[in-house]
Amino acid sequence: MTVIPLVLYAVAAVVYAVHFARRQPQIGRAATTLLLLAALVHTFVIGMQTMEVGHVPFANPSRAVSTFVWLLALSYLYLEMSTDERAMGVLILPILAGLQLVPVLYPGVESLDPVLDSPWFWVHVASLLFAYASFALAGVLGLTYVLQFTQIKTKHLGYLYTRLPSLQVLDVMNSRAVTIGWAFLTVGVIVGIVWATQARVTAPDDPNVQAMALGDPKIFVAVLTWLVYSFAVLARRSLGWAGRRAAWLSAVGFVIVLLNFLPISYFVTTSHTFD
Amino acid sequence: MHLLLLGVSHRTAPLDLRERLDFSSRDVGAAVEALVTQSSSAESVVLSTCNRSEIYVASGDPGQTREELVRFLGQYHDIPADAFVPHLFTFEDTAAVDHLFRVAAGLDSLVVGEPQILGQVKDAFNTAAERRCSGPLLNRLFHWSFAVGKRVRAETALGEGAISVSFAAVTLARKIFGRLAGRRVLVIGAGETSTLTAQHLRTHGASEIAVTSRTLAHAEALATEVGGHVVPWDDLQAGLASADIVVTATGSQRPILTRPLVESAIGRHRSGPLFIIDIAVPRDVDASVGEIEQVFLYNVDDLQGIVRENLSRREAEVTRAEVIIREEVARFTSWYRSRAAIPTVVALRQRFDSIRRSELQRLEGKLAGLPPDAKARVDEVTRIIVEKLLLEPTEQLKALPDEETQMVYTEAVRRLFGLRDDPVTEPVRPSAGGPDTEEDAG
Repeated sequence: MTVIPLVLYAVAAVVYAVHFARRQPQIGRAATTLLLLAALVHTFVIGMQTMEVGHVPFANPSRAVSTFVWLLALSYLYLEMSTDERAMGVLILPILAGLQLVPVLYPGVESLDPVLDSPWFWVHVASLLFAYASFALAGVLGLTYVLQFTQIKTKHLGYLYTRLPSLQVLDVMNSRAVTIGWAFLTVGVIVGIVWATQARVTAPDDPNVQAMALGDPKIFVAVLTWLVYSFAVLARRSLGWAGRRAAWLSAVGFVIVLLNFLPISYFVTTSHTFD
Repeated sequence: MHLLLLGVSHRTAPLDLRERLDFSSRDVGAAVEALVTQSSSAESVVLSTCNRSEIYVASGDPGQTREELVRFLGQYHDIPADAFVPHLFTFEDTAAVDHLFRVAAGLDSLVVGEPQILGQVKDAFNTAAERRCSGPLLNRLFHWSFAVGKRVRAETALGEGAISVSFAAVTLARKIFGRLAGRRVLVIGAGETSTLTAQHLRTHGASEIAVTSRTLAHAEALATEVGGHVVPWDDLQAGLASADIVVTATGSQRPILTRPLVESAIGRHRSGPLFIIDIAVPRDVDASVGEIEQVFLYNVDDLQGIVRENLSRREAEVTRAEVIIREEVARFTSWYRSRAAIPTVVALRQRFDSIRRSELQRLEGKLAGLPPDAKARVDEVTRIIVEKLLLEPTEQLKALPDEETQMVYTEAVRRLFGLRDDPVTEPVRPSAGGPDTEEDAG
């Protein structure tokens, strides 16, 4: 069932690319309509999976990726509609389609460790997934900003310069994505701390729960991520770190997020290895 | 009915002659009316801009009308014929359609792809339409040309990219600041290009324009012209600090903006970029200013480089635009040809309908006994039969590929169905060799 959103994302990616190259308004509208449709179908798929297993499907890594793609699509749609700027779709849509391949190729079964079956868990994971989706978006926007900035600074005004959004729009989009991501990250981390504290009492024998401390790599990097993005939000407001500095910061921040998501989750951490 | 175009443009006539043949400085509407009343043309539109004066007319006898138009031009503008006739171009039918479509698309403009011309074509047509001087042919032709102009702009990059230094600067500013609303501009030194740039920035939304100059009077004059305010020369640093866009155009021999000056003016905690446009020769801004993190520095050479690149890119788009125009000319021509079949089609319909009516009349006595709704049904059925019989022949007549075939077919239809009378209802004048007049002559 996850294959239908994949096909729609892929088709939308192609239409966004055509719009990027030819810049015809009607193709742009078609691209957005397709993405809306993809997001809608994806919502339906996730709704079905939720009904099937009785909770939002993200206890299994591959389904978590699908939920991540869904949230990223929604965040991107919000940014596109609030700024009326479609050029970023050419970068975001391939990411959506590429990641959506994961749940299609490795469907996986949703199974839940009993210690995780708590409302806290859902808030914790949903907030963090949404935060990471926003950071992914901010990272791509940041890199695009740096690219566009360099092009204008060095007076290389070619194909990409004409098509990419203005620095101002990229900066506004980046600021929104970082702020929203930071808010959800904060909620996710706080809920995680509260919940882990409770679980220590209720599940004294679970090795995962006992490993939950700042010294655990996954938790440490999550806190580091929070510090980096808190700095980004603060620096923009009080130090005037907008534009290129903010752009670099969001790119670096997302590299840390990626580290946490992939290698650390699979190889290093001892606290978040539920299967 | 034929389409005839007579005119001069920047390609065929020097400026002083174009000025003498210009209609736009006088009442174009009156000229259009005079054309219809004083010549054999049935419809007319006059397109007059600084680069061209063109007369489009619909005429049954293009040869005669051309002579009348030449005479009209001479009299109207008070110029002897031999002064302008060598510079005059004449196009008929398809060639005239092709020319108008090229004009509307901006292909015939001095600066290829410039956007004003489409509006000027629209104005020219509206002037004629308001005075009821354009008719079925020119109405269709001009509306078609608007669509062609739009299509070329939408499907090619013909009109893209700034082609003047001041517009290149505005385009860059928009790539940096997005919408320019709320942006503050500082103009240092008054000059033609800096005035133009400031005006463009203002039209694109820049909210505040500050002007400073060593000579206060110059600053005041420019400030009045662009709707800005004057900043004293001594407050240059403060002006820099609050500006988003700086335009410099002083006659100074030495750089006015140096790196230390700009750095201390914008301070360390400035978050937004500063876009400096240096239009002055020799340069007003030291090259090292461009190394400051938030500063984008463009001088007049950079901007001219952009303009050159845009111009050559536009040239490359011409071929694509021409493909579209060829396509549209073919479509228009086929519409126009289908229109020539209309008199025959109308005659055919009238013939069939009169047969139907007379047969119904003949049966009047026998049908008298029927209830009214049954009678109505008989009438309806006979009408539908006639419609269905005529559907295919009508389509076929309208879709004939060329004039010659059309003549053969209409002649055949007229003979086969005995269409003697010319049933023309719309005011189409007899055209030489036109299929609809063959029978008239005989």
